[in-house]
Amino acid sequence: MFAPHVAVDGATLDVRRGEVFTLLGPSGCGKTTTLRLVAGLERPDGGEIMLRGRIVASVSRRVFVPPNRRNLGMVFQSYAIWPHMSVFDNVAYPLTLRGLGRADVRERVARVLDMVGLSGTEARAATLLSGGQMQRLALCRALVYEPDLLLLDEPFSNLDAKLREQMRHELRLLQRRLGITVLFVTHDQIEALSLSDRIAVMQRGRVEQVGPPRSLYEAPASAFVRDFVGSTVILRGRVSGQTPGRLTVALNGPLRGRHIAGRSMAAAAVATGAEVHVAIRPEDIEVDVVRSESEPLPGIIDTLLFVGDRYEARVSVGAEQRIVLLLPRTREWKEGQAISLGLPPDAVSVWPA
Amino acid sequence: MAGVAVPRAARPPWRIDTGTVLCSGVLALVAFGVVYPVLLVVLQSFQTALPGQPARLGLDGWHAALAEPALRTSLWNTLTVTLARQVITLPLAVFVAWLLARTDLPGRRGIEFAFWAAFFLPPLTVTLSWILLLDPEYGLVNAALAALPVVGARLGKGPFDIYSFWGIVWIHVITGSLTVKVILLTPAFRRMNAAFEEASRVAGAGTLRTALRITVPVMAPVILSVLLLGTMVSLQTFEVEQVLGTPFRFFVFSTTIYDLLVTRVPRYDAATALAVLVLAAMLPLIVAQQWVTRGRRYTTVTGQFQSRVHALGAWRWPALALALVLVAIVLGVPVVFALLGTFMKLFGFFNVPEPWTLDNWRTVLGDDLFASSLRNTVILALGTALAAVMLHSLIAYIAVRTRYAGRRLLDFVSWLPFTVPGVILGLALLWLFLGTPFLRPLYGTTAALIAAGLISGMPLGVQIIKSGLMQLGGELEEASRIAGATWWTTYRRIVLRLMAPTLAAVGMITFVGAARNIANVALLSTTANRPLSILQLDYIAEKKLEEAVVIASIIMLISLAGAAVAYVLGVRGNVG
Repeated sequence: MFAPHVAVDGATLDVRRGEVFTLLGPSGCGKTTTLRLVAGLERPDGGEIMLRGRIVASVSRRVFVPPNRRNLGMVFQSYAIWPHMSVFDNVAYPLTLRGLGRADVRERVARVLDMVGLSGTEARAATLLSGGQMQRLALCRALVYEPDLLLLDEPFSNLDAKLREQMRHELRLLQRRLGITVLFVTHDQIEALSLSDRIAVMQRGRVEQVGPPRSLYEAPASAFVRDFVGSTVILRGRVSGQTPGRLTVALNGPLRGRHIAGRSMAAAAVATGAEVHVAIRPEDIEVDVVRSESEPLPGIIDTLLFVGDRYEARVSVGAEQRIVLLLPRTREWKEGQAISLGLPPDAVSVWPA
Repeated sequence: MAGVAVPRAARPPWRIDTGTVLCSGVLALVAFGVVYPVLLVVLQSFQTALPGQPARLGLDGWHAALAEPALRTSLWNTLTVTLARQVITLPLAVFVAWLLARTDLPGRRGIEFAFWAAFFLPPLTVTLSWILLLDPEYGLVNAALAALPVVGARLGKGPFDIYSFWGIVWIHVITGSLTVKVILLTPAFRRMNAAFEEASRVAGAGTLRTALRITVPVMAPVILSVLLLGTMVSLQTFEVEQVLGTPFRFFVFSTTIYDLLVTRVPRYDAATALAVLVLAAMLPLIVAQQWVTRGRRYTTVTGQFQSRVHALGAWRWPALALALVLVAIVLGVPVVFALLGTFMKLFGFFNVPEPWTLDNWRTVLGDDLFASSLRNTVILALGTALAAVMLHSLIAYIAVRTRYAGRRLLDFVSWLPFTVPGVILGLALLWLFLGTPFLRPLYGTTAALIAAGLISGMPLGVQIIKSGLMQLGGELEEASRIAGATWWTTYRRIVLRLMAPTLAAVGMITFVGAARNIANVALLSTTANRPLSILQLDYIAEKKLEEAVVIASIIMLISLAGAAVAYVLGVRGNVG
């Protein structure tokens, strides 16, 4: 009942209080625009935006609340740390705008800086901070006045891989502790999957699917979601047999003669002989050395890259298909080696072509 | 609740009606100060009646401008002088900018500052200094050459004559053409991504080939933009031709216009017709300039890279020698000889007995006119600088940051003062002040001169602030809005603070420009509001060169101080 509502292209997005809600999609899908609409940095051409039961933008009712009266926090992609102010002044700015007394400001700034480990940097020029510190500062500035909703616009994209991982954990911890509602925009599926309570996958201004990370990953509602969230191996074939909820597929092309069973993802019944796609996550494929020429798919390791904790292998399946698999370090692999690929029916999904 | 929000923004959230009113107010003000005078000029070109007689429309002025040989000659002269200036200075400026920005030339920071300082030297002061060296009769260089044993006799008297076509070109090369290009090109070259050059070096190209095949082509839009800007500025010149050209009856269109205006029976129609011709020639240049700079945003020149420089190796000493010779020519000679000239009994004559004296300074400083002119100049320069910072920043902000419907028009109009010759702009403003009842009391006051300086400085001032604003990320302002600040608070506490160095530099540039402005104020000034720059022109007209050079030196010292302040404030010609 205090939920902020976001309407995008016909669909209503509902962000629940205290959750991390993520807009995930490729660049240009409208996720940043959606965020900016919520922030009040853009005006909608139609529809309504509600924050905590208050209409902040409505075209039909001619309501538009400017960003400074929405009580939101936002962390920008570039952090937008004001270079002419010290660390303290950056965080104190929103508080002085709200007319807080000097002692109060000092105390609140100290508390929020302490929370992210920036204590002692108050007097420093904001431009002298490192990338990770700047991001923490931007977070402090957005949190210090306890906004109703925190907006994050690709906040990790300017950090290196290690720092990014660390900040993900820190942000998660902070969010849990403060119980703050977060609307998060990213094109990085790992960030989205690891941080979110729920994700909305967007494409070309439309919401493709909304749901918790696991259900999105394990039960994607569309081919776009399937391919955008995580990587997928796809094989083509025709339906050769079916039991309730299960389809058996005869593969086409060089793999002709091999059959694979999987869950049906079609909304309606699929006729036997219909063209279908067989999809499986690479990590669900059971790789083994070749024992027999029978059921599992045969593959040949084209290239083998040692990446530290495991191998990254490009494997030819049939004549045309090439898939990338992660192989455990515990076994010996070599380029040109023939392997067998097992596809557990529970991990295989079958989609109408 | 189920609404449709197409995720596409139509307008910025702060497009409140008061904002539109403010923007329209600025546009109306600028249009009144810029477009209206231009219209007056166009109309006046068809008005053939003599002043004081009933109005009569006709094409006499146009006929004169297009048919009279003298006027045609002046157009031809303008063209050839402009062409010669640009052809000589462009390659040289590109080379110097490349040396300063892309190589390890020793002392390059100091040399860059020298060019920056030279840009601020008043052209008239530079002209007077070089007269001391290149006067055909008494110039030091000519005297020295004549004194050479064998060659001297061969060369005859005065091999170099500053009162000639090439003399005029020479002064232009020194005063505006070279320095302005160097100070505009150097920062642009410095911002270029070094990876382009490094890729070329790795691919096997040497320093010179890399410069010619990679650096210059990559920078081509900037170079073209600076060339167009330089051409526009060079069509404006007035003082140099007035001093050097008049003695041998060499007129360019600006001096022709002045000549047509200050005779006993002023030919307003012919003068304004000439001005309209220039305006017509300038408009395509402006459009081209804006088009070129718009394209530049797509090019790969950005401010995000560390630019590393080439090692010149053994070439660094010849390069340094060349740079130092150029600095001596554009800065050293003018400063030294202008000051030297102030102590001469007879300006330009080194061979009279006891040539040195302090009388010139005594005369000028004791002159009542000097005290009032100095006061006028200080008020004029300060007033113009303050007004320019306020108005120009507002124009730039509207053009860059808002989505006000008339912002492109405002941007274009802010360029217009560049298209009108300074003398004509002064004349149009004179008509504006005399022809508008509520402005008439301003005639003869310093406020009128401030308006002239404000308008003539508009293109440069707006451009510098615009490019500063464009470098300022929009998210810095949005963050403030989200944090709870209103539009006005954001403008005061974020935009103005971050732009403070740029604004101060614009103020300084305008201050100097107003202090030395001659062309715009020549017709607007009266005995009551006469500034130093016009006092100096009066001295020259009375053939009192010794007094004129004292005033010129004072203006020069003011300008150099302003240059130093602006440089320290950290904006080095981010235009174009």
